[in-house]
Amino acid sequence: MIEHPPPPFVIPDIITYAVPGFVVLILIEMAYVRLTNRGRYQFVDSAASLAMGFGNQVAKLLVGGVAVAAYFWVAQFALFDLGWTWPVLVACFFAEDLAYYWMHRISHERRWFWASHVVHHSSQHYNLTTALRQTWTGVLGLSFIFWLPLVLIGFPPEMVFMFSAISLVYQFWIHTEAVDRLGPLEWMMNTPSHHRVHHAINPRYLDANYAGVLIIWDRLFATFVPETKDEKIRYGIISQLGTFNPFRVAFHEWAGIWRDITHAKSPREMLGYLFGPPGWSPDGSRKTSASLKAAWRAAQPGSL
Amino acid sequence: MRDVANFLSRFVSPDDWIVLGASAAVIVLMVAVAAALGFRGAEKLDEARLATLAAAEGALIEGALVSAHGDAGLARLAGGRLLAARVMADGVSARAARPSRLRVKGKRVSIAFDDVGFPPLRFKFKQDAPSWLIEMARG
Repeated sequence: MIEHPPPPFVIPDIITYAVPGFVVLILIEMAYVRLTNRGRYQFVDSAASLAMGFGNQVAKLLVGGVAVAAYFWVAQFALFDLGWTWPVLVACFFAEDLAYYWMHRISHERRWFWASHVVHHSSQHYNLTTALRQTWTGVLGLSFIFWLPLVLIGFPPEMVFMFSAISLVYQFWIHTEAVDRLGPLEWMMNTPSHHRVHHAINPRYLDANYAGVLIIWDRLFATFVPETKDEKIRYGIISQLGTFNPFRVAFHEWAGIWRDITHAKSPREMLGYLFGPPGWSPDGSRKTSASLKAAWRAAQPGSL
Repeated sequence: MRDVANFLSRFVSPDDWIVLGASAAVIVLMVAVAAALGFRGAEKLDEARLATLAAAEGALIEGALVSAHGDAGLARLAGGRLLAARVMADGVSARAARPSRLRVKGKRVSIAFDDVGFPPLRFKFKQDAPSWLIEMARG
């Protein structure tokens, strides 16, 4: 059993400290959109997004301890005690970002995790308030398990929390249509351009650009798609929500899963509805990202 | 009430209450600014928009009904299917609907859906109910 030494410095509540910056940037973006018409806002949509962010804070207070307890429990069985040194900090930054990539990718590819993550994609707008449209069920949906291997390797839990918080804060500013491409930064970093692609529902853009801070993971695992100016981006989800009610937004996919598994005709169907790709159905009659992409590719000139 | 407060105090410290209270206040401020800047939806539904939505599903419309305010609509699709749509801010959301859940009363229509993400659609319309709508509501 390993007992990690405490952090050598007090780790501030990074997200809480970032909130005033979030507010200022949102107000600046609103003014910019009003003046330039570049980007879109709608106050009911923003109210829904901000209510989801508020609910996410409440959910973390109520059940976030479960994730924290899991990290510290797993830390007892860590393979190494990596400690708090500069090389370990650098390695943890990359490892956390890689864990985020896989959490995010699987959150799009498996319905169980999508049921939480869909909330973040459910706005038809893409602006800084969309960044705060966060799930209420992330902890209950076990999204935190993707970071546990880092703790098992030996990164101190507090260090993993710290980089997770830094990643979340970083990802706030990329939710905007107000910033165009950023030159050489586009090679390494996740940028507004890359993340617009991620939020798009145009078939060519589906299931792409899962990066947190560094876009290198998408380039490495062949999920990178660049933004093109040829096609106007449509945001949201394939079956756009017909509500701004935060409770419906938070739980609609879970309710859909429940409806499907209670009508399943076999354990195989039940597992498919739970852990298959979003849109999976036994007879293939529903749309998945893969089927939409395949149909789009088939419709392209020159395709066989 | 005191029991609820005691229960919550296990999870939420006094500092947390301050953060939550400040967050709520800031949310109200930002929404108020957005409203004051005039960020309101401008999307309206009409028959052509319903036809476009149907075409995205590979279907043609045989009849359409749009609400008096242009914020909701129904379309009968070829093959006897039904498409419902509502304006969402400056976007539109649509669902295939089951005619068995359609109700028509005078110049009011309502229809329910299985999807929690798409609440029941109720609206008034100006003209008399079209025959296809009455026929579908009768099953």
